[in-house]
Amino acid sequence: METLVNKRKPIIRDDDVRREAVALSALVVCRNSAEHIEAAGRELVRALEAFGEPFEIIFVDDGSVDQTFTLLSRFAQADGRVRVIKMRSTFGEASSFDAALRLSRGKKIVYIAARVQVNPHGIAKLLEKLDGPTDLVVGWRYPRRDSLLNQIISRTFNALTLRWSDLKLHDLNSGVIVCTREVLEHVPLYGNLNNFIPLLAMRQGYRIAEEKIEQLPGKFRQSRYLNDYVQRFLDFITVIFLKNYSKKPLHFLGFVGAIFTIAGAGINLYLFVYRILGLGAIAGRPLLLLGALLLVIGIQMISIGLVGEMVIFTHAKDIKEYNIEKIL
Amino acid sequence: MKNESEKVHLSIVVPLHNEEENVTRLHEKIHASLAPTGKSYEIILVDDGSTDGTFEVLEKLSKGDPLLHVIKFRGNFGQSAATAAGFDLARGEVIITMDGDLQNDPADIPRILKKLDEGYDLVSGWRKSRKDRLLLRKVPSKIANHIICKVTDVQLHDTGCALKAYRSEIVKRLNLYGELHRFLPALARIEGARIAEMEVQHHPRLFGASKYNLTRTYKVIMDLMSLHLFIRYLQHPAHFFGIIGAALIFLAMVLTGWMFYEVLMRSAPQEEFNNLLTIAFLFFTAGFQMFFVGLLAELIVKTGQRREVYLLDRSAK
Repeated sequence: METLVNKRKPIIRDDDVRREAVALSALVVCRNSAEHIEAAGRELVRALEAFGEPFEIIFVDDGSVDQTFTLLSRFAQADGRVRVIKMRSTFGEASSFDAALRLSRGKKIVYIAARVQVNPHGIAKLLEKLDGPTDLVVGWRYPRRDSLLNQIISRTFNALTLRWSDLKLHDLNSGVIVCTREVLEHVPLYGNLNNFIPLLAMRQGYRIAEEKIEQLPGKFRQSRYLNDYVQRFLDFITVIFLKNYSKKPLHFLGFVGAIFTIAGAGINLYLFVYRILGLGAIAGRPLLLLGALLLVIGIQMISIGLVGEMVIFTHAKDIKEYNIEKIL
Repeated sequence: MKNESEKVHLSIVVPLHNEEENVTRLHEKIHASLAPTGKSYEIILVDDGSTDGTFEVLEKLSKGDPLLHVIKFRGNFGQSAATAAGFDLARGEVIITMDGDLQNDPADIPRILKKLDEGYDLVSGWRKSRKDRLLLRKVPSKIANHIICKVTDVQLHDTGCALKAYRSEIVKRLNLYGELHRFLPALARIEGARIAEMEVQHHPRLFGASKYNLTRTYKVIMDLMSLHLFIRYLQHPAHFFGIIGAALIFLAMVLTGWMFYEVLMRSAPQEEFNNLLTIAFLFFTAGFQMFFVGLLAELIVKTGQRREVYLLDRSAK
């Protein structure tokens, strides 16, 4: 058994990571970005050189089907500070980000999703802000030069998410984030959670700020699949759940379940009294059906909440609910 | 962390949130009551995201005191998390928790320790003469205590008293999260702890505001529900869900039986029972699902990290 376990390779091996220290790691996740990635990469190098400290750039090719990887590898050969990770297929932005993070060494992390095409020279301003009492700076795409549909979706998403949190930001999912390494060590990165990094970081007690960054004019593709937008919404629900109830599922499910149960019980009680007082027959009334249905749904929700509690109680012993800043 | 390798007998864990005025006196009083006992001890003060000067005071105190450890949280994560952090850091064989508002008196600690040595794993304080407002705090607290005792099967007069002493074997096994700090005796009881209580002093609050509020009732009820499940059914959760499932199926059978009786024996028109039949089907389905939920719960518990639920009695000689 043990040899079997040992044969599993870690995602990034120790000898993959280079030795020399850098101050800054820029992580760029791209997928099918052959058209602009070369120009954008060169621009990014120039912007980071102006920063004046040693840096590295890690590109992640998240399963592109165009020339992206060829272009990137040529780029990496020409410039020793550039590295490229090629994913075996498309795993999504969060996973690509996670892989890049494991390979990176900088104390400060610049995260850029290549799809948003921002002006890399704006990053200096974000980095400046990070020097203050801030742990994470979100780029605010301004002026925004995106397709109208993307803008509308993004606005709605922002409004929804920010309503549910205490964050005061304009552009939560801008795809541009500058932060200290420590923040990302405390934030889960999988699925589409990259859209919620500021929110998750805030929950851990980190200080969040935002800074404007120019979006470059270019061709912006809309997603061809409605699915992408539905997923956005589902992710939103996931994050609300993760943010508030990850260790107490019953507080959430119990609440919904209690509403159903009380509504169902109320309806049935009303019908019961109605029948007892002899006001008429109830057997044929659709309301009776509704009452029974609500009651059953309510009981099931509470039960599932209880199972959730059981999962936490028996499995989540090592998940810490706190984040220590200092020990004296 | 100071003197990490050193062994200590006693760890005092105190979660603090905005207790700027109380911290210095608390620190003094703990030392004053523990130094004469001659036992080795450490004090762990956890700053749970205070927004006043609590941490600055702690920083100052920490410089002059090798026995004091301070944990600073990045944000406000709640009393359970603060207590858990203190527990994680504590090295003592005995761990004592108390409130940071000086309403508990550290002078009671030596007596509590003596009680613990009589062979208990947890000794809980009992504020027999509480110095709080009657209607807002004492009455709700009495009611809550009564319900908690009933549900969790731990007979204490005052489960809410923060002054408690634990053996570290118990503490290290507790899974403290959410707002479970209210139910520490119940959690310890799940681990097989022997629990006693002892009268302690209680002082009126001098500085700072009380953090109690009535809106938490909902959360308490939900937590009690899970605790009830954990205490009675942790070994065989399928029984719990099975009972609910059986009740639903029984209801469904009663409904169907009644329908058969009316239609076959008393030749009532069948259409009148269409609705009832649907409800019976609904209950049947829900009942069966409950059984499967129960199986799922069994699976979860069996694969969990806490397979042994007994505790060896180390005090027996």
